[in-house]
Amino acid sequence: MDWKVIANAPWLWICGFVQAAIGLFQAGYFYRLATRLLARHGGYGPGQVRAIVRGAVITAIGPVMAEIFVMMALVFAISPAYTWQREGVAVGSVVTEMVLISNAAIGVGQEFGQPSFDMVGFAAAVVVVNLSCTIASLGAAFFTPYLGRARGKLSRGDPRLLAVIGVCSALGIFAFFAANEVKRRGGHEVAVIAGAILSMFLFKLADWLHRPRMKEWALGLATFGGMLIARLLQA
Amino acid sequence: MAPDERGFVDLAVEPYEREYLGPVHRVGFWTCILISAAMTLPALLLYLIYGVAAPRAGALAGLALALTYLLPLTIIEPLSYYSVYGDAGNYMSMTTGNIANLRLPCAAVAQSVAEVPEGTRTGAVIACIGIAVSVVVGVVGVFFGSLAGGWITAQFPPWLTGAFQAYLLPAVLGAVFGQFALRGPVYAIPALTIAGVPLLLGWHPYSIIPAAVVGTVLLGYGLFSWKGIAPGRG
Repeated sequence: MDWKVIANAPWLWICGFVQAAIGLFQAGYFYRLATRLLARHGGYGPGQVRAIVRGAVITAIGPVMAEIFVMMALVFAISPAYTWQREGVAVGSVVTEMVLISNAAIGVGQEFGQPSFDMVGFAAAVVVVNLSCTIASLGAAFFTPYLGRARGKLSRGDPRLLAVIGVCSALGIFAFFAANEVKRRGGHEVAVIAGAILSMFLFKLADWLHRPRMKEWALGLATFGGMLIARLLQA
Repeated sequence: MAPDERGFVDLAVEPYEREYLGPVHRVGFWTCILISAAMTLPALLLYLIYGVAAPRAGALAGLALALTYLLPLTIIEPLSYYSVYGDAGNYMSMTTGNIANLRLPCAAVAQSVAEVPEGTRTGAVIACIGIAVSVVVGVVGVFFGSLAGGWITAQFPPWLTGAFQAYLLPAVLGAVFGQFALRGPVYAIPALTIAGVPLLLGWHPYSIIPAAVVGTVLLGYGLFSWKGIAPGRG
């Protein structure tokens, strides 16, 4: 059977629903605790809570739309069911997801996005992506009560050190994947360079125009722009 | 509680810990364990239904590569964002992901609507509401996006389908590299060099990925220690 058919079969949709149910229960329970505490001890009425909810809903719509926009890459490369299982309630944005799938493919001697990616690559992606993301949820389960104290110790009182480690880790991994695509030359090289330049320009533009909400769309637009420029130059 | 210098009155410690924090940790712990267990289901079902399993050595190698990138972020992200979103926010964010682009903005907007400062008990509770709402919006949006995505992509003309298949992934990787390069321009070229030279020399990705991550982090740590250089805001 074609691996793409298996990747969009009901079993994977059901796995997504199970995860979504747990995530929604968690969010609903915490929401109830928070609103009850605010009503009893903070003097917050239903009108104030409604205003907070409205603000959060409006803020969430932009990033969720942007996420759906970029998510099409996963729908295309693997399947809608896989996208739902991983992006509905899971640990990882679409970009993290792609890096993890690429890692899984490398592990079994394949390349994600290339014809060599087959059932073995898909099976490896299912294992690697899901298992590696349990690190975050298990970490939260066991270490959340100690976060406040740990934060002070690791940053040695200077939170800028946390930013150094975070940004440098991300740059290291994306430098590898970008350089690997550039090495292929042709449209791949164009797509990487155009995507990078467009992304930097759009993020800067949001700063210059003082419109931080533009940043929600910058990555998606840069991605599609880079892809289309590569297609046009290679046509 | 007495107001602080800004005139803000925080929630009292006793009800916050008894009525909120206690249940948050209990339910947060078990839901995180459950979601971790649920994430093992796809691999298990793929094997049980179709008899397909990933080669063990390959999967372990892929997992090791993934962790070189994911592990530092998994440690850094909660530590960096904890003061904004608090304990419940951390459980939800680590369960649902998309922290910097979705959870944090919703937490920040909720706090700003309620005119409550971050880093306070009330701020953490308000952030919890903002993040909980973002989880619901996210799940609904992604579900319909996934359903419609398959249909929409089937309507694409062949040239666009070809562009998606060939160039979307490199464009995503370039765009994300550009985004992080803006936050730390001083690290961007060295990171490309650390990753690019071994690639040109034909090293295997197994060894290049850890070298690129560790090498760039060490460079950043060195610059921070010697010159006080740190990344700007995103």
